[in-house]
Amino acid sequence: MKFAKVTKAAITASTIVIVGAAIMALPGYYGGIATKTLIYIGLASAWNIVGGIGGQLSLGHSVFIGLGALLPAAMLLKLSVPWWIGVLCAAAMSGAIGAAISWITFRFRLGHLYFALVTLAIGELGRIIVIGTEFLGGASGLLVQYRPMSASGLQLSVANQNVLLALCFMALALATSYAILHSKLGYRLRALKGNENAAQAIGIDLFRSKATAMVISAVLSSLGGSVLARYDGFVDPEVVASPILIISIALFTVVGGAGRLWGPVLGVGLLFPLGEILRGNLANNLPGLHLVLFGVILVAVIRLMPSGITGWFASRFRSACRQIT
Amino acid sequence: MIPPSSGLIWGLEMEILYQGVIQGVLIGSTYGLIALSMGLIYGVSGITNFAQGDLMVLCMFMTLTLSTLLNLDPYVSILITMPVIIAVTAVVYRYLIQPISSQQLMVIQLTLGLMFVIQNGILMVYGGNFQRVPSVLDGDVLVIGDFAVVQTSLLISFVATWGLAGVLFWTLGYTDFGRSVRAVHQNAKAAALVGVDVRRTQLIVVSLSAAILAVSASLLVAGRPIHPGEGLHYTVVALMPFVLGGMNNLLSILVSGIIIGVAETLGNVYLNGPLGFAVPYAVFIAILIFRPQGLFGSRS
Repeated sequence: MKFAKVTKAAITASTIVIVGAAIMALPGYYGGIATKTLIYIGLASAWNIVGGIGGQLSLGHSVFIGLGALLPAAMLLKLSVPWWIGVLCAAAMSGAIGAAISWITFRFRLGHLYFALVTLAIGELGRIIVIGTEFLGGASGLLVQYRPMSASGLQLSVANQNVLLALCFMALALATSYAILHSKLGYRLRALKGNENAAQAIGIDLFRSKATAMVISAVLSSLGGSVLARYDGFVDPEVVASPILIISIALFTVVGGAGRLWGPVLGVGLLFPLGEILRGNLANNLPGLHLVLFGVILVAVIRLMPSGITGWFASRFRSACRQIT
Repeated sequence: MIPPSSGLIWGLEMEILYQGVIQGVLIGSTYGLIALSMGLIYGVSGITNFAQGDLMVLCMFMTLTLSTLLNLDPYVSILITMPVIIAVTAVVYRYLIQPISSQQLMVIQLTLGLMFVIQNGILMVYGGNFQRVPSVLDGDVLVIGDFAVVQTSLLISFVATWGLAGVLFWTLGYTDFGRSVRAVHQNAKAAALVGVDVRRTQLIVVSLSAAILAVSASLLVAGRPIHPGEGLHYTVVALMPFVLGGMNNLLSILVSGIIIGVAETLGNVYLNGPLGFAVPYAVFIAILIFRPQGLFGSRS
């Protein structure tokens, strides 16, 4: 048992190192896409805690991502507060907002649709507040330039810093998802997702479970927003604080398989690089083609493999096993 | 220079307030109409289309094309946009949504996917610039009494909205079709048992809601610029009255639309800049804090 755990940890660690080294070796353009893919995998995993494992389709997570992206940049530019302090402030605020949203939506059992509708309105409100707040850069956004780091003779370029940050964030989001899936909270959430009445009848506290998931997911999303903004340098509120961002992340997750550990990884890993390359090549002639494609793929996946690609493979694998034995 | 008397300032203030409220009631009625199209679908099938705003923007761009090609006025082009949007919606509903309509979460995800397809499809065809659809009523204003000046197009939307709502309520209340709709709304299984064709009723109601969208598109398009990316905004503007009205009480949805409309205009009158636009959303969330089931919804 102990040996298996050690091997697992070693394999995970070496995978992370290999992925990181491979991305740093990639030429600039593709290295950038790969770094962003890692960040989006982390963001999708964070969303998956509420949207997949919790089964509550949140469309308001853009508030957390936007706050995480804009607040540290604004504090660095306007108050000269170190970046990481801003990151922690944004994460704390996102956690508080997550708790407030949970309080509004989970106090009474008002259903999935209600939650999706209300969080979408909250996401839109967040976007408008960001655009109207001068401190956060208003409608024009913020531009921050980061410097290379050097410690004891080792120089770390900005791009490589971002690869490291993206890797750490993705690993944190995946580890948290793994921990939740294998903890009491995960079982409670899945029980509630399966049947709220039955779960509450055996004593599961709906509000507490869902609010906990929401706060964890909000803090993670905010951290991801900070990493994303640091990678981009220029923070555009219409991108990081728009509900469209979280709808695309939700869409990636659903295609990969919502509620599963590897769903967000597979969904983002397949769709995001495809979208970036299409956007890079066709933005002048056919803007939006990649998004039309995402929409079509999502509709097809929902109708053909309702539990996402990972879910489809899992059920295939199970039935294949049954046939062999 | 004569210093203005405080009475004059007070009068001016009140005039701005009246003006804002009237404007809000007029525009809010149309928001309520879009919300009504959501409420109708929800009432018979328990689902919500998150692409509703984008379907309306699609109608708006159809009026743009009809205007540039055939020189049709937006009010006339309803005759063409309505059948087209009904056909599109009915096909999408029948073949994509109805087979999975028992799984609410999946329907939401699917309509979000459709939202991407419609929004970016329009973007690919028309490009990302703001455009205007000319109308005979451009710039026309009416003076009501001696205290308010309103755009004629807004007044027309108000009258059309309540006229349409009246016809709708009459249909639902006093015709066989209306009775079957209410039967499906109350209990689909029981309705099926007494011989109501549930799937057909749902399909007709979805078509009806698409027709309402075509009308709202033409009402809104007069005098305001249109953009492919606005669909989500309209969806959110419509979902607020939809939720406040308790999701299936049609009259309270219309009234809630007016609340959102008034909040929007007053926000823009009294708060400068983009934060004025935040007022309706803030009002919406504040109401939900005290009445989570909506203003008119009942807690079950």
